[in-house]
Amino acid sequence: MFRKIYLLFGFFTLGTAAFAQYRGWSLDTVNQLKNVPKSVRDNPGSYRSVYVGYHHYTGGK
Amino acid sequence: MSAGTPPLSTPPKPQAKALNCPKCGAAITLRCFGQAETVVCGSCRCILDAKDPNLAILQQFEIKTSDVKPFIPLGTRGKLRGTDYEVIGFQRRHITVEGVTYSWHEYLLFNPYKGFRYLSQYNGHWNDISICKQLPMLEGGFFVGIGGSANYLGEVYRHFQTSDANTDFVLGEFPWQVRVGEHAVVTDYVHPPRVLSSEKLDKEVTWSIGEYMYGREIWDSFKLPGSPPEAIGVYENQPSPVTTNVTSIWLAFAAFAIFLLALMAGFDMRAKKEPVLHETYLYNRTDAKSEPSFVSDVFELTGRTSNVEVKTYAPVGNHWIYLNYALINQDSGQAWDFGREVSYYYGYDSDGSWTEGKQHDSVVVPSIPPGHYYLRIEPEADPSLPSIAYTVDVIHDVPVFGIYAIAFVALLVPALLISLRAYTFERSRWSESDHPPVQLSRMTGNSEDDS
Repeated sequence: MFRKIYLLFGFFTLGTAAFAQYRGWSLDTVNQLKNVPKSVRDNPGSYRSVYVGYHHYTGGK
Repeated sequence: MSAGTPPLSTPPKPQAKALNCPKCGAAITLRCFGQAETVVCGSCRCILDAKDPNLAILQQFEIKTSDVKPFIPLGTRGKLRGTDYEVIGFQRRHITVEGVTYSWHEYLLFNPYKGFRYLSQYNGHWNDISICKQLPMLEGGFFVGIGGSANYLGEVYRHFQTSDANTDFVLGEFPWQVRVGEHAVVTDYVHPPRVLSSEKLDKEVTWSIGEYMYGREIWDSFKLPGSPPEAIGVYENQPSPVTTNVTSIWLAFAAFAIFLLALMAGFDMRAKKEPVLHETYLYNRTDAKSEPSFVSDVFELTGRTSNVEVKTYAPVGNHWIYLNYALINQDSGQAWDFGREVSYYYGYDSDGSWTEGKQHDSVVVPSIPPGHYYLRIEPEADPSLPSIAYTVDVIHDVPVFGIYAIAFVALLVPALLISLRAYTFERSRWSESDHPPVQLSRMTGNSEDDS
């Protein structure tokens, strides 16, 4: 029984991996937005990234 | 008929002879007809010679009845594996290992056409036992019956335990000269769910084969009231709940891993990896005081929905630069917003030289539909960094190897868990044997056959 479940799980995992690769999934996190105004192209300052003001690492060892 | 002829009398009806215990007079019931060698008086615990018309007393033993109570009362009938049987005898036996006494119950079943069969019960674990029809072949081991294995009907049974069994309670009738205090050397060989046992009594060796049964099956077979006693621990021939050969799981894992590798190679070859933007920009702190953001040239993504990799290279040294990116679809206004930092530090201390961070960065933006896009870039940098040139590359449709890594781990974890479960189960089983786990080298390799 465990072998059958494992085989099913294995095929599901491989199928998901193939689908993810085909659809261009990624492990990185990005913030998706809709309806960004077209004026951004002419006036980039009219849009502000949600990541502005990120606390930067300034240390080193 | 003539008048002087006496009338014919009707032949007498056959009547069972009433049997009574010669000691206490209690009624004795014989259920297996002439096959019983001994019968035990349930009242006074006298073992009687069933072959003797007068039921000669062979032995009498003293034990409190309340101490021993069969789960299946004598005379109970049930259907076991399709055959009707009646419980006609019961005995309790024990072994003593390192000063600890382990007792188990044995039930003798009888069917006039099929003969005798046995049920054993220990700590809620049951076995359906019958006499071997063929002599098993012993293999290996230093002495006959100790260590090694036994081959019966083509199946190899591993030696589990050899012990001295003593009978301390009997009830009902038996097809042998049963005695309380009877001493036998019992050797068990296991091949779950079966157990092969040899019982050496004086010079006579009897081989039997048993198959593990669950208490619920016994209760259903004999229609016993209530619930069976809960099974405690792992019994010597108890089938593992991981009813899978662990080797087959690992073979399946290996096949999946190879398939995953092939999948990765196939997608890697098939991926376009198409560079759609390659630009070098200059960050200048004095310029940044005005509006720092700007946009790239428009580039086109063709084909199906796929990912986009944005790579950044900045030759920083003990500095950082942070880029607020937005990948914007010029046609739909849809945007993917993300920020990336490039920082690289190095130095030297008492431990030697060290480095931290990288001068390049990469991010994969998922599932981008085809269309015309541009990047809005808003750089920030270390206040001590006056200016730096950095390069941005946009590549369309790249393989993401992390997906395969996750899939690999997802395939590996269940295989490990199943192996661990099988290992712990087998460890529990063999810890009760003459071969405790420290000496066990092929523990997981000898799991049960797949069900």
